[in-house]
Amino acid sequence: METRAPISFALALAIVLAGLVNAGRAVDYEHEIKPLLAAKCTSCHGALAQESGLRLDAGSLIRAGGDTGPVVVPGTAEASLLVQRLTAEDPAERMPPEGEGEPLDTEQIALVAAWINQGAPYPADELAPADPTKHWAYQTLVRPAAPTINDPQWSHPIDAFIAQEHQDLGLEPVEVADGTTLLRRLYLDLIGLPPTPEQQLAFEAENTPEAWTDEVNSLLDNPHYGERWGRHWMDVWRYSDWSGYKKDVRNSQKHIWRWRDWIINSLNADKGYDRMILEMLAGDELAPNDPEVLPATGFLARNYRNNNRDMWLDATVEHSAKAFLGLTINCARCHDHKYDPIPQPEYYQFRAIFEPHKLRMDQLPEQPDTEQDGIPRAYDADLQAETYLYVGGNEKHPDKDHPMTPAIPAVLGGQLEISPVALNVDTYFPALLPHAAEAQLAEARNALAAAKQELAAAKTESATDESNTEEASSDKKPADLRTLELNQTAALLALRSLEARQAADRAKHGLGEAGGSEGETDLQHVAQAAAAAEAQFKAQAAVVSVRKQELALLAAEQSDEKDTQKKQQAIAEAKQLLDEAWQKLTEAQNNLANAKDKYTPVGTEYPHTSSGRRLALARWITARENPLTARVAVNHIWLRHFGAPLVDNVFDFGLRSPRPRHADLLDWLAVELMENNWSMKHLHRLIVTSRVWQLASATGDHIVNLEIDPDNHYLWRTNVRRLEAEIVRDNVMAVAGQLDLSLGGADIDYLQGETSPRRSIYLRHAYEKQMTMLVQFDAASPNECYRRSESIIPQQALALINSSLSLGQSRLLARQLREKVADTEQELPSFVEAAFRQILARPPAEQELSLCLEFLAKQSATLAETDSLTIFRGGSEAAVKPATDPLQRAQENLVHVLMNHNDFVTVR
Amino acid sequence: MSLSVNQPSRRAFLRHTGLGLGGVALSSMLYRDLLADNGTAPSGLTHFAPRAKSVIWLFMIGGASHLESFDPKPALNQYAGKAFVETPYGNVLDSPFLENERVVAFDPNNGFVRKTCYPLQVGFKKRGESGLEISDWWPHVGDCADDLCLIRSMWTEDSNHGAQLQFHTGRHRIDGFFPTIGAWATYGLGSLNDNLPEFVVMGTPLADCCGGQEAHRANYLGPQYDGIPLQVDPENSMPYLAPEQEVFAEEQQQQFGLLEQLNQFTAEQHPDDQAIRARIRAYELAFRMQTTVPEVVDLQQETETTRRAYGLDQEETKTFGQQMLTARRLVERGVRFVQVYHGNNGGAGNWDAHGNLKSNHTKMCRQVDQPIGALLKDLKQRGLLDETLVVWATEFGRTPGTQGSNGRDHHPYGFTVWMAGGGIKGGIAHGATDELGFHAVENRHYVTDVHATVLHQLGLDARRLVIPGRQRLERDFGHPIHEIMA
Repeated sequence: METRAPISFALALAIVLAGLVNAGRAVDYEHEIKPLLAAKCTSCHGALAQESGLRLDAGSLIRAGGDTGPVVVPGTAEASLLVQRLTAEDPAERMPPEGEGEPLDTEQIALVAAWINQGAPYPADELAPADPTKHWAYQTLVRPAAPTINDPQWSHPIDAFIAQEHQDLGLEPVEVADGTTLLRRLYLDLIGLPPTPEQQLAFEAENTPEAWTDEVNSLLDNPHYGERWGRHWMDVWRYSDWSGYKKDVRNSQKHIWRWRDWIINSLNADKGYDRMILEMLAGDELAPNDPEVLPATGFLARNYRNNNRDMWLDATVEHSAKAFLGLTINCARCHDHKYDPIPQPEYYQFRAIFEPHKLRMDQLPEQPDTEQDGIPRAYDADLQAETYLYVGGNEKHPDKDHPMTPAIPAVLGGQLEISPVALNVDTYFPALLPHAAEAQLAEARNALAAAKQELAAAKTESATDESNTEEASSDKKPADLRTLELNQTAALLALRSLEARQAADRAKHGLGEAGGSEGETDLQHVAQAAAAAEAQFKAQAAVVSVRKQELALLAAEQSDEKDTQKKQQAIAEAKQLLDEAWQKLTEAQNNLANAKDKYTPVGTEYPHTSSGRRLALARWITARENPLTARVAVNHIWLRHFGAPLVDNVFDFGLRSPRPRHADLLDWLAVELMENNWSMKHLHRLIVTSRVWQLASATGDHIVNLEIDPDNHYLWRTNVRRLEAEIVRDNVMAVAGQLDLSLGGADIDYLQGETSPRRSIYLRHAYEKQMTMLVQFDAASPNECYRRSESIIPQQALALINSSLSLGQSRLLARQLREKVADTEQELPSFVEAAFRQILARPPAEQELSLCLEFLAKQSATLAETDSLTIFRGGSEAAVKPATDPLQRAQENLVHVLMNHNDFVTVR
Repeated sequence: MSLSVNQPSRRAFLRHTGLGLGGVALSSMLYRDLLADNGTAPSGLTHFAPRAKSVIWLFMIGGASHLESFDPKPALNQYAGKAFVETPYGNVLDSPFLENERVVAFDPNNGFVRKTCYPLQVGFKKRGESGLEISDWWPHVGDCADDLCLIRSMWTEDSNHGAQLQFHTGRHRIDGFFPTIGAWATYGLGSLNDNLPEFVVMGTPLADCCGGQEAHRANYLGPQYDGIPLQVDPENSMPYLAPEQEVFAEEQQQQFGLLEQLNQFTAEQHPDDQAIRARIRAYELAFRMQTTVPEVVDLQQETETTRRAYGLDQEETKTFGQQMLTARRLVERGVRFVQVYHGNNGGAGNWDAHGNLKSNHTKMCRQVDQPIGALLKDLKQRGLLDETLVVWATEFGRTPGTQGSNGRDHHPYGFTVWMAGGGIKGGIAHGATDELGFHAVENRHYVTDVHATVLHQLGLDARRLVIPGRQRLERDFGHPIHEIMA
């Protein structure tokens, strides 16, 4: 017999309200019901998931109902399961379920009820949302044919796609920019440094397509290309130097700059983007013994969190997916992804790929102390490590009954082909590498030499003391010769022990001396020798310890402490320690007698195989079939050439990213990248030789374009861009000829940003460790920066007006320019001309020239009367003093103004 | 009260910068303006009539005890030394609210529920006509009881000092960095003045451990909405605010003059370039800030009486007193949001009284009580309290149970913050903790409810502050506490 739950109060209220709505007007399904259901219901009852077989994302589907039958009875809200479930008093019944969204309020329920009472109408032509697996970005890449364009000026393949869109929309692209503007744009785009006046004049004299190609090729061969684009990729790959409290590392790793240098060098060598991904995710599995490759795994090392493995791996998962795949898999950590077809378990399957890996610091041949230098790198530490799904994303609730196996999101196709990687002894037992073994020996030898030295010095001293009066040494306790002798022996035995243990470890790991075939007996023999040598050393060390404690007890007994109780206590403590030392000595001597073949290895033995999971992931990411990798890479590159990306959200190519305007161009470029060995230089060359890249930025008289496409989505002109923080700082020094152009090396303290002449990419960049000026110009957040912002704030103005850097550099530059124009006829106009060329990479317009000349006249007159001037309430002493000559000082001021000019920080 | 919060329109700005423009250029620019008016960026208009125009946000770093400040619990004295389970209130240890705690890194020493009643270390008095009970460590703030709205039912998640960041972003430290309340307010409203930044920060910010500078940053809203640190030192109030030695004011002024001429010339060549117009304006503000910022921190301009009232004549109260007085000067000049930190010690914070709570809080309260009291009275006397919302907050309270012999541990389950002015009812206590002061039990509020209330008083609806592509969780928005609004 059918039973019906009594009508709840909320339902009753909703029905009353629904009556009111009914009485007033018709409910608008499109604008009132559909958005409400989309916000509250369709993540579980929609295209992505169909709980209970029910979809609520289209009228026809709502009417079709779910597994239990219809949910809507048109005309009768209170009989409709949909309304009953929305208003159920039992939290287990009520929709949305607890924790998955706010309940609908009474007015919202009333709307739904009223809509049902009105017959639950919906437009006949409404389409049900498409299958998410058909999303554009998930489709395998196929090269689209470039449109045929009759205009030969637009025949370049990139231009053809853009020109077709211009034609379709009625846009009239502006002309190509003038050579002077173009040359600066090219230099800043490819190497981040401006062209010199000589380079400007040479190009202006011969502005031909051939000259352009030559410039492009020469800049792509310039090692500063690696720095310029390296910084871009460091944003995407989340470069961060280590941060922490005092010496404790909390995030990232020490010496991670080796990864930064790897990025720069790889770009300069035009290493394929695919190869770079392979090396960053799995360099240790791909080339386990190659010190040129291992720093690449800094990409992983950067995610380190000192006290929370979950946060560490969460960051690894999130950012590997965002950076390489444009996938927000992190949204599936606590629940199924709300927008993309990624169920929660796939998050943990992706995490399982990284579960075995940890970090270690490889020793460098030239520097045994890894605090000083080393290679932070990834390796698989625990091949048995299990990954569990966290229920509701809560690490307190792991689902231990269902361990996760490594896998990639199914929607993207393909699978992981995991084969374990066998490692050789150099990798799994690095302490036996010649330089590492030698470093340990050297340390032991040094300790022995020091012990000998100490003993010899003490002997000499005691001989001297005996010949002197007793008072002379009364205030200094003479060294105990016996202790030092025992200590010297201990140091010798420590060396012998090390040598024997090294020999045993070498034998054990098949690195025994040439000629000897390591049989069982030989291994046994060297192990016994190592055990014996180690036991001898330990026994001797115990002897030293006993001797020291005996002396300590003696000192306690002879001390002139007045407080008897304190004295007795000190004696008791010393006795206790002596007893313990004796006990250890007895144990050590027993071990000595019974030493078998157990000895302490000379270093850590790491697993002999790596899981191969990360290598499999990297191969899947870089496979030709992966629909996302090349698209995401091309989008990042395009963004940094054009100031706007092809796909707006550069780290989310999921369902929230609709098919982009230039989808065919994106696909064409992605295929082009892959088919040219993933060469990024190939892509750069293609882009900067296109007409669309070379268009002017000014709107000109093209009002029609502003009406059709005010935001320049279709690239009828070039976007005006602001220089990135690092390039602003670099350019201040570059135009003044002061920039140190040397490449690579350890990170420089960010507090030296005002004084160090190195490029900004080398300044320390970590949480709370960033140069103020760079932060003000929107430097990347070390935590995450897939795309820079371009703010315009007064602090930027203050930094360029008042920093020691800009003041000093402008004074130095003014001196140089004065010398340069000293012999010209029109000295001041030449100075202005030279300053514009040097700083803004263009000549001044006539009006600008006259404004500057007026300024020089007025300013030098003002500065001639220093007594009447007010000194600025200033800070530190000037690093570079202003000139005393009023005209020269005015010239310094002019140079300084040009460094603050809008166009100094702008690319047109 | 009538508050106009329009920011100048772009057209007004054009008139202001006086760009001389020809027909075509002008029409394209005006066209852009029309488009911009329909854009998604905030207009600078409030969503509804505001009750306040500025906020002064005071944050005690380390966790000030609610029990010894604003939420007295006689039961703790009555059952002093007894285990909670021996009192009638032992069920606090079975509460489902305990599940709200989220731990980032286990700390073997701190962050535990302490289970033996620790008696109150200070007496309480009923104060003002309202009779609000406030402890004897807060006599000056107590004098303003009738202006205070105590919110005694706060809770948060982090039982360690990441809760400091959480109080400003609404997100647990483990979730990362997000825009802060001050950034949302300035993002939503824009500037009220042409001479000073909109969002100013004083006091040493949080230590790196607990969020650092991120507690006053704008994160994805962009650095133009970051809080700008200000030192109360006319000689050194802001980075790059003054040049090195040997620069003349006249010399620099003429440089700004030339720069403006050159930039305007370029702006005429590129009438469609929005950035150059914004940059001209940024330089104008920068130029003025060189004078206005040192002026605003020049407290010599205040009378001796005022300076004394804020405690500038006493060693313990001088630093915070200077900051409170500067805060008043900033809101007087139209600064939107003033955030002041108290208690940085390079780590967890000075209010973190795991031991010696009595001597610790005596000292800490002494440093801030008189200056805060002076600020409230001064604002009121100048008629500014109506339009200035003052918020006093801390990351969590302290355990009702003893830690060691004489301290209290971190306590995220129930604690107090207060508000005054800005259209908030005075002389009331809203919400309550249980008899032990353990769990917030009546009108519970998560930290974003404070944010939503602040934004509401400024005329903003938190739910309408969203950035495309940046998902905000339901809880990020919080709920304005309508019961406390006047």
